[in-house]
Amino acid sequence: MIDARALVLAYGDRIVLRDVALTLRAGELVAIVGPNGSGKTTLLRALAGTLAPSGGTVLVDGASVHALSAAERARRVALVAAEEYADGDVTVRDAVAMGRLAHRPWWQWNGLPEDDAIVDAALERVDLMPFAERLLDTLSSGERQRVWIATALAQQTPTLLFDEPTSHLDLGGAYATLDILRGLTAEGAAIAVVLHDLNLAVASVDRIVLVGDGTVIADGPVERVFRAELLSRAYGAEIAVTGTADGTMVAFPRRRKA
Amino acid sequence: MLFVPGVLRRSVSLAALVAILFAAVAVGIACGSVNLPLGRVLGALVHPQLRGDVTTIVWSLRVPRVLIATLVGAALGVSGSLLQSMLRNGLVDPYLTGGSAGAAFAIAVAIALNVPVPYFAGLAFVTALATTIGVAGLARRGRGVSPERLILAGIAVSSLFAGLTTLIIMLSPSAGVSLSILAWIGGSLAGHGWSDLGWAAAYAALGFAVAASVVPALNAIRLGDARAVALGVDMNRTRWLALVASSLLVAAAVSVSGVIGFVGLIVPHLVRAMCGADMRWTVPASIPAGAAIVVLADTVARSAVPPLELPIGVLLSLIGLPVFLYIAFRRREQA
Repeated sequence: MIDARALVLAYGDRIVLRDVALTLRAGELVAIVGPNGSGKTTLLRALAGTLAPSGGTVLVDGASVHALSAAERARRVALVAAEEYADGDVTVRDAVAMGRLAHRPWWQWNGLPEDDAIVDAALERVDLMPFAERLLDTLSSGERQRVWIATALAQQTPTLLFDEPTSHLDLGGAYATLDILRGLTAEGAAIAVVLHDLNLAVASVDRIVLVGDGTVIADGPVERVFRAELLSRAYGAEIAVTGTADGTMVAFPRRRKA
Repeated sequence: MLFVPGVLRRSVSLAALVAILFAAVAVGIACGSVNLPLGRVLGALVHPQLRGDVTTIVWSLRVPRVLIATLVGAALGVSGSLLQSMLRNGLVDPYLTGGSAGAAFAIAVAIALNVPVPYFAGLAFVTALATTIGVAGLARRGRGVSPERLILAGIAVSSLFAGLTTLIIMLSPSAGVSLSILAWIGGSLAGHGWSDLGWAAAYAALGFAVAASVVPALNAIRLGDARAVALGVDMNRTRWLALVASSLLVAAAVSVSGVIGFVGLIVPHLVRAMCGADMRWTVPASIPAGAAIVVLADTVARSAVPPLELPIGVLLSLIGLPVFLYIAFRRREQA
């Protein structure tokens, strides 16, 4: 569980987010949405403890995440970063096995048999076992995304944070990815995921954190946050929200008048 | 690379490198400026207690020299693999981060001041580490070290030390001292014995141990910096330890061989081609690969035109330059 209080996040003198309070509980799937440059990734990094806040605290299972060693932090929180670079010469199995890095002492170059079993389980979980000996370079974007999810699963942390795990994915791939995350929350994991697609968020998550104007504009159940005036304010554009026949809410930009 | 070699292929490649090293060591002991019958060399090796010129040549000159060449090659090979992996740049070698230029400068000063040879390894380490820390300080960006700045600062500091070393040669009180420094800079394994080997081996052993400690972290960095941090890698600690390990290894090498370039550049490429880029294989494979190259080069250097001895640094530069250009142009084509 993560509990962030009075967070101020900045790069040098430039404050990106202020007065952020956010709680992530076990069994919850939370989407963090907002316009480009609003600080979603910055917030996720601060929650994972890989970015020190200028003010406030982030508690992970009661301990300040920034006081933990890098390895201890990685045993409590898994962060799947939206990074493009990766050496393509790494096999899928080796990449996923690196999720066990924080669980073994520094002098141990290879995992123990129990680590191998955990890596196998993570590969099975995301249907990557047939790809285990393939190189990252030979995978599609969706398959690569599943590798990073499996790597995070191999970390065996109660909390998982994902930065845009559905970018580069088609609609089917995006839903499949979020289905995996939903399955994990059903087993008790606490998950926060940065998403760009508002409608995908509405269809998949329990709670939405809307970031904009340098702070958290709204945080709550989908029906409370997914409102035209809040979204329009956050994105600086006229956004309409309507419901489909089956009750699903949909957001779309209003046509501009000539 | 289109494939990652399997465990069998990697094991065979590593075994082949070890076999080549043993063969190189055998050739290195058998050959030299004095032509000795193979049977007598073997006899001296098997019976070191026997007195005679052959035993003296084998046990006082050739064996320690070949072992020093093994140590120098292994140290430079591992140092190159560490730096190329850490900086994600295949054109980096230990000479590009300033440490070796600093160590060479310290030894030039030591020669000019007539400091006893046993102190060379210590001086080389202190200067290499101080230079590397200085270069890393110049390369600081925020709380971390920027790889690009590290290379730029390394080149600048190396140039500075090269200039200062030239100044010492020009200002040295006698032509003999100047020649000694020049011979050192040219790279040579001549004139070193068991005691030099002992000192250098101590620094190299420490360097290998520190290098081994960062192998898992360097492997994780292959997935990208942000992912490595998320997986529990302390990036600053990893970079510092890699630099300390590199400094120890370079100091061990420079203290007994002077400046020998290109080994740290070529070896990582060679072992990656044979064993893949996984650091759990690259680092161990760099030991026999680097050692075999330096042992063979040294054997050629002292046997090619007897009684003259070619500077091994110059010889390796002649081989290394085309390889460097090949790597650089292949990278450009790939880009």
